[in-house]
Amino acid sequence: MSVTTGNPYRIYRITWVILLLITVAMLAAEAFHLPRIFLIVFLLAFMMVKATMIGGNFMHLRYERRSLALVVAAGILVTSLILYSFISREFRYITERLSQ
Amino acid sequence: MMQAETAAAHVPALEAHWGGGASPFGATWQKTMMWIFIVTDGLLFSGLLCGYGFLRHVSPVPWPRQSEVFSIPFIALMTFILITSSMTMGTAVTAARLGDRKRALNNLVFTIVGGLCFLGCQAYEWSHLIHEGARLTGNPWGPPQFTQAFFVLTGFHGSHVFSGLVILIITAIRTGMSKTPAQGIEMAGLYWHFVDLVWVFIFTLFYLL
Repeated sequence: MSVTTGNPYRIYRITWVILLLITVAMLAAEAFHLPRIFLIVFLLAFMMVKATMIGGNFMHLRYERRSLALVVAAGILVTSLILYSFISREFRYITERLSQ
Repeated sequence: MMQAETAAAHVPALEAHWGGGASPFGATWQKTMMWIFIVTDGLLFSGLLCGYGFLRHVSPVPWPRQSEVFSIPFIALMTFILITSSMTMGTAVTAARLGDRKRALNNLVFTIVGGLCFLGCQAYEWSHLIHEGARLTGNPWGPPQFTQAFFVLTGFHGSHVFSGLVILIITAIRTGMSKTPAQGIEMAGLYWHFVDLVWVFIFTLFYLL
């Protein structure tokens, strides 16, 4: 961690405010009943921004070596995609077997 | 002999490429192990959320509108509590690193209070929904998978919040006795932020989408 200049706690307050603003924007998008496709893109984009801010600023990944940040982010993302494809196939297989 | 020389010549090149030598992540073993734990735990939630996504996708019955089942402002309050507790946790970690034990302890206590409030809200939400007829096997709003996903996702997350609270309480007591090094608070903080991170996904994918 290399935040020693200025107020070292400022980053947390700024991140907190931004996270709250994003949350309010997400709630507003849901409340205004945006078209479904826009809502999905909007919410998923903001979700990723929030996750990046928490990982980067709160968990200090932005101050860690890039190899660690990449392993954490890419590891979870890639494995989630693989998981989803496995789950889809398994469920379809089970559903087909049960319907026979 | 020749092979050993070739291997030895490769070492500096490998180190330069990897950029970390004997410590590729540039982190202590405690932090590396904590990150490995967080990644594996993240995969648990990833699996649960993928399963939820698929169940919803293939549900023959229309999925209920979340705003008609849950009080979204109440869920927003829970989110606010968790984000705020993450901010106080981050402050505690930095204070501990800078040697400001009093500030670290105060912020640890704020974080614990935030965690307790979150768990209280979750208990209220669960009891309210159970009172309205939500069960693992069915619910008044349509597909039984809806409440199955709800109880499993929020239950697993709640259990993580609870274990995080236990860790934080132990850390706070030990900090009060000057027994916890700054790194101990950092490890507890990593776990707590992870709990917050998971909530970001549950909040968006389960409550809003």
